Amino acid sequence: MNPTAALKPGLIGGTVVIYLAAIGMVERFQDRNVITGVVGLGVVLILLTIAIAAYTAARKGRTPMPTGALVGLVAGGMVALITLGFEGLINAGVDVRGMFVSITPGLLETLEFGLNPALGAIVMALAGGTTGLVAGGLVGLKDEHLRSSIVFAVSMTLLISLGEPILRVTLGNLGIPTNWLYELGGLTIAGTIITLLAGFGLRWWLMGRKEKRQEIAAHMPEDTRRTWGRASLIAAILALIALPWVVGPFVSDVLGTVGLYVLLGLGLNIVVGYAGLLDLGYVAFFAVGAYAAAIFTSPASFLVTEEGETFAAAGFTNIWFAFPFVVIIAVVIGAMIGAPVLRLRGDYLAIVTLGFGEIIRTLVLSDWLAPFLGGAQGLTRIPAAPPESFDLRNPQHIYYVILAFCFVAAYISYRLADSRVGRAWAAMREDEDVAEAMGISVVRYKLLAFAMGAGVGSLGGVFFAAKIGSIFPNSFGLQVSINVLAVIILGGIGSIPGVIVGAAALVGLPELLREFGEFRLLIYGAILIAIMIFRPEGLLPNKRRQRELHEGAGSAPVELPEGASPA
Amino acid sequence: MNHLLELEGVSKRFGGVQAVDSVDFWADPGEIVGVIGPNGAGKTTLFNIVTGFYAPDAGKIHFDGHNLVGLKPNQITRVGVSRTFQAVRLFGAMTVLENAMVGQHTRTKAGVYGALLNTPRTVREEQKVHASAIDSLAFFGDRLTPRINSLASELAYADRRRLEIARAMATEPQLLLLDEPAAGMNPSEKEGLIELIGRLRDVKGYAIVLIEHDMPVIKGVSDRVVALDYGKKIADGTYDEVAANQQVIEAYLGKAGSEEQE
Repeated sequence: MNPTAALKPGLIGGTVVIYLAAIGMVERFQDRNVITGVVGLGVVLILLTIAIAAYTAARKGRTPMPTGALVGLVAGGMVALITLGFEGLINAGVDVRGMFVSITPGLLETLEFGLNPALGAIVMALAGGTTGLVAGGLVGLKDEHLRSSIVFAVSMTLLISLGEPILRVTLGNLGIPTNWLYELGGLTIAGTIITLLAGFGLRWWLMGRKEKRQEIAAHMPEDTRRTWGRASLIAAILALIALPWVVGPFVSDVLGTVGLYVLLGLGLNIVVGYAGLLDLGYVAFFAVGAYAAAIFTSPASFLVTEEGETFAAAGFTNIWFAFPFVVIIAVVIGAMIGAPVLRLRGDYLAIVTLGFGEIIRTLVLSDWLAPFLGGAQGLTRIPAAPPESFDLRNPQHIYYVILAFCFVAAYISYRLADSRVGRAWAAMREDEDVAEAMGISVVRYKLLAFAMGAGVGSLGGVFFAAKIGSIFPNSFGLQVSINVLAVIILGGIGSIPGVIVGAAALVGLPELLREFGEFRLLIYGAILIAIMIFRPEGLLPNKRRQRELHEGAGSAPVELPEGASPA
Repeated sequence: MNHLLELEGVSKRFGGVQAVDSVDFWADPGEIVGVIGPNGAGKTTLFNIVTGFYAPDAGKIHFDGHNLVGLKPNQITRVGVSRTFQAVRLFGAMTVLENAMVGQHTRTKAGVYGALLNTPRTVREEQKVHASAIDSLAFFGDRLTPRINSLASELAYADRRRLEIARAMATEPQLLLLDEPAAGMNPSEKEGLIELIGRLRDVKGYAIVLIEHDMPVIKGVSDRVVALDYGKKIADGTYDEVAANQQVIEAYLGKAGSEEQE
């Protein structure tokens, strides 16, 4: 065993703990119970860092059981020691509060587990050592069933504990009592034990049945399989329909926002994922959708006549009549934006589209267009759409509208991907010159991609306007373009399920992390970096792109590039 | 003007370099023309002009009754000229089958509505595209057919060259332009290539123009050989005629070299 294997992860782990402590995360998170009365999130954060350090250390040496545990122990112990050293320095009166305002007595209390310094140090060393020992030992554990089940049980318990705000409401709505499980924002001791056992048992059982299930699946006749596929699809749709009533208005609102980003993501995915045109000004189409919808429906719009009669006279009173026209307008504008950038490729295209995004934002903000677009005041009082019983302002209602359009957009994406049009886009994305040589009119297909992307994206704008009821120029900044792009990159470019997962992770997660206040974006950023390092192809990648990124192993090396020697 | 492809006085200049200098060139139906010349002689530029990637500075290009000058590459493919590239340029992230299916683009019509509504016509067209792609791939025996679901980037080098030809075949051309098809192939693969090019002409009836440095390949397949040097056509005739041409020998070996040979 190479002793340095344990040192490096230990050092890094220790630094991470000091960092988390110094920026105040540990203390702040400690307020959140994980297991009420036993352990808070601050301590869990430290233990988690130790576990990861130990795991990495043992992993690196590919160490079997007893040594693995030892390596873990060393790494974990190091993290604990470094933390203790840090604590000691502060106790000894080294004053760093000038720079790190978060290093407070409260933090020390957390690091000492609420005990006196000596006892706290012993507990810290013990906890660090034990965690390291277990995490390191797990790596070396031969029995995969056991290892996997333990990891699953612990992760599940942690997630159930962290998901308390949502789960408690959800279970409550389902009429399931939660007193036994949750207490003061954390799990009860009984709840923890039950969750751990349930998680372990579930995973153990599933793994035991895995081979059998595969066998059944392999021998399943085609039509049975199809029936099962349909049944699970219907079940998923039913679950999606029931969702807002189960999770309550707050989470429904988050789901609505996620849905809007799914729409935007699916639209941008056509432009970037399918056609390979890096568009950094996608917010333009979102803005066009929202503003066009508002102009058609808001009484604040210039389309209102002198007599106070709205454009409504023509039947445009509400979003339902407006939205097909909005989409048409967006498609036209999409093609208009596409036209001047047809000759541009790659980076240049990205910069120019970035400019278009800014132009749209500047236009909607301008005094020049203020009589039409409301300038900085935006357009307000977008009326509710009939029927009255179905209120688009109600997050639990508009959820369904957004869901329906997500389905439509997903269907469009799905059909296009595997069609003549989709192949033409893919070819263009891969090599524009060759695509042209294969008879594909790149002009036409670029315009088509922009137009389709704009049409789908404008739907996001329409229902954003309908959901909020008022729109302001500030909602249409560069940040939106970047976020949507991040959604599709994170989820996996070119993948429809990827867009959904990406939107849930990127838009949903920060909303749900709200209770962590200012650390929200830090966590979010860290997660983003981690995903991009460990899964560059995205969370649910397009199969091909995954194969391409992980090519190396399977493909034959190129023997000779070009221009072989003349004979 | 009975040639399938006919170039008259075609020129192209890049800055100070006269890449192609008033070249006359033609190819007849069912003919295999080899284009040779040292590096930088303007062979690939000639291909790029014919296929519409470069606009010629001067000259006329006619193909099967169409004036090719001013047409875009995709339009030229549509009238029946297809090509491969010197450095293999496949759609790496698409499967072998899809690469060939892309070739059918100009021979099909389905648009967004067809794709979304999956009309019977689209379904039929997709079946046709699929069948035609399979057919093109099958031309290479068992080299490509068992790998239709592999990514193009996963293929071995020689198979990538084959796929490039299959993709060009899928456009249903009358004229096929092959840019150094033998590059990087070993002797037995070159043998196979010679046989393949012959079959392309005999079975598919294509006229074929190929740029090649490999003289045994040129000798093995060409009905006629055209030699270029510094953008000018310096010889045009049978392989033996061109090989004996003093200017061609000088172009390849230099003046001193040719004297030494005598």
